[in-house]
Amino acid sequence: MFRLVSLEPGSASLRFCYAAVFWLIVPGVLGLILATFLYLPAVADSLPLAVKPYLSFGRLRPAHVNVAIFGWLSQVYFAAILFILPRLTRTPLYSERVAHANWWLWNLMVAGSLVSLPMGLTQGREYAEMIWPLDLLFVLNIVLLAVNIWGTVARRREPKIYVSIWNFMAATMVTVPIYAVGNKIWDPSGAYLGMNDNIVNYFYVHNLFNAWFTTAGVGLALYLLPKLSGKALYSHRLGLWGLWSVWTGQHHQLYSPAPDWLEYLTIVFSILAAVPTTAFMVNFFMTMRSRWHLAAEDVALRFLVTGAIFWGLTCVQGVSHSFRTFSMVVHFTNWVVGHSHLAFVASYSFWAFALTYLMVRELTGRAAYSRRLMEWHYWLTTLGMLIFMISMWVAGLIQGQNWSTYSIPFLQTVITMKPYFGARLLGGAMAGIGILCFAENVRRAARGRQPVTAPTHAWSGQ
Amino acid sequence: MKPNLVYLIGGSLISLLLGIIVTIIIPAQDPAGPSASAQPYSEEESRGRDIYLREGCHYCHTQQVREPEAGRGMVHQRGDIGPESVPGDFYHQSPVFWGTLRQGMDLAHVASRPGIGDNAGWHELHFRNPRAVSPGTVMPSYDYLSADEIQSLTAYILTLR
Repeated sequence: MFRLVSLEPGSASLRFCYAAVFWLIVPGVLGLILATFLYLPAVADSLPLAVKPYLSFGRLRPAHVNVAIFGWLSQVYFAAILFILPRLTRTPLYSERVAHANWWLWNLMVAGSLVSLPMGLTQGREYAEMIWPLDLLFVLNIVLLAVNIWGTVARRREPKIYVSIWNFMAATMVTVPIYAVGNKIWDPSGAYLGMNDNIVNYFYVHNLFNAWFTTAGVGLALYLLPKLSGKALYSHRLGLWGLWSVWTGQHHQLYSPAPDWLEYLTIVFSILAAVPTTAFMVNFFMTMRSRWHLAAEDVALRFLVTGAIFWGLTCVQGVSHSFRTFSMVVHFTNWVVGHSHLAFVASYSFWAFALTYLMVRELTGRAAYSRRLMEWHYWLTTLGMLIFMISMWVAGLIQGQNWSTYSIPFLQTVITMKPYFGARLLGGAMAGIGILCFAENVRRAARGRQPVTAPTHAWSGQ
Repeated sequence: MKPNLVYLIGGSLISLLLGIIVTIIIPAQDPAGPSASAQPYSEEESRGRDIYLREGCHYCHTQQVREPEAGRGMVHQRGDIGPESVPGDFYHQSPVFWGTLRQGMDLAHVASRPGIGDNAGWHELHFRNPRAVSPGTVMPSYDYLSADEIQSLTAYILTLR
């Protein structure tokens, strides 16, 4: 029977896993609809008038992004943080009840965004589209998560605090003020006036990425790596380097009307960001040394490793975008679409896939339903995303070069995109089928009756 | 350095606070007044701007001309993307629609393009059926908007001079 709140250890974490997998289908479907509209605009034209407004590109685009980053990815983060905490502190979770409240309120927020955004209720700022009541829910949720993190750490029986937990503590602590400032939480309109609105928006966009998706995400990867490879982390100190996020937000808007000094500052800091990211990559590859063969057998580890390689590429691209000359060519083009999917899908979501497989196995005591489905999931998603991203990068370079001739009519540069939009649709559809394999695998494991092994939701350490 | 809670809390908060001061508060001290192209919006133009926001036009259209491309044409004819955007252009705007992607063209100075951009009739036709006037465009048709809404949206677009 489904109860509102369960006090069983690990139950909130498991619910977050299931909800994440459920929400993952939504941005997948929305993404395919959007890609279809760009490839074949006639499909959008032919929709009946009753549904047309709600399926309009400009309304579905923020719904796609918000449900992907908050409905899917963030919920895996919640699940994994609640899963990892008792194991690394050798202590029960501070409050399973708070964790369940967290689950209900977070899913209320995600459902609210999926209803409000297609209705055109939006604040219209990147990653900050959610309307005011949902903004308040976001902050409340991160505070509740922080209560559980800090409360569990305070009661820990393991004196040493593993690097992942440092990352979780730092992430929750800075995400709240970043979200509050970025969304102008004290004002229901949620927007600042004039140029400052955009400066704050990109402070928020990049720092939400730094503080939440990267700081917490790297913490998750540094937990998974020793766990799945069976080898201790190469260096704990190197891991800590990743804690220090930087102020790189304005590199999203080079050559913009914002002050030049701010752009130069952000360029310097973006280049400095190469230090912690290199530290992470060194740590990752040194830990994996002599364990690479395990990735052939273990699909979860393979997702982790592939995600880390894509993460390295994300960082290389990120630093290169912060140079004005390169930005001038690729900014505003489809290159950026490739880059954002490289970060959110091919890196962080790949880690999230690995985490979900691990957590469902440990929390239910049942292994994934089918090894073959896992392989399909891996290969369809990896190859599909490669086709998606490469087509967008090529498209972006062509677009940028076409624009900088200053002689080709703009409409012609749009028509040139058609084959690349087609390739993106194909790659996206492959990744979408991969995601369905994943969801089906998790659903079957959840529904299974006989535990394969004893459940391991005791706080038995790593 | 041995990590402890003081370093973690202090370091994170100082880094965040400095970030807010240097990258948000100090830039906001710049007293740029409105530029020549920034006019307060009429009631109808404001309504149109709200429709632009609601329909998410800014996901495919930027309103931001960068210095190297300023005054150089890539839309219809030479020079027609218009002058470089300056802070004062956005004086009356909240939120701003700088945008991140150009699936469609930049609209910062769209209403300065003679014959098309400054022609209300062209815009109304284009909103209802983009492919009738721009063959090959991927813009969705906004035929679900009411006549009033199309008129307000057009009034807003014509402020982008």
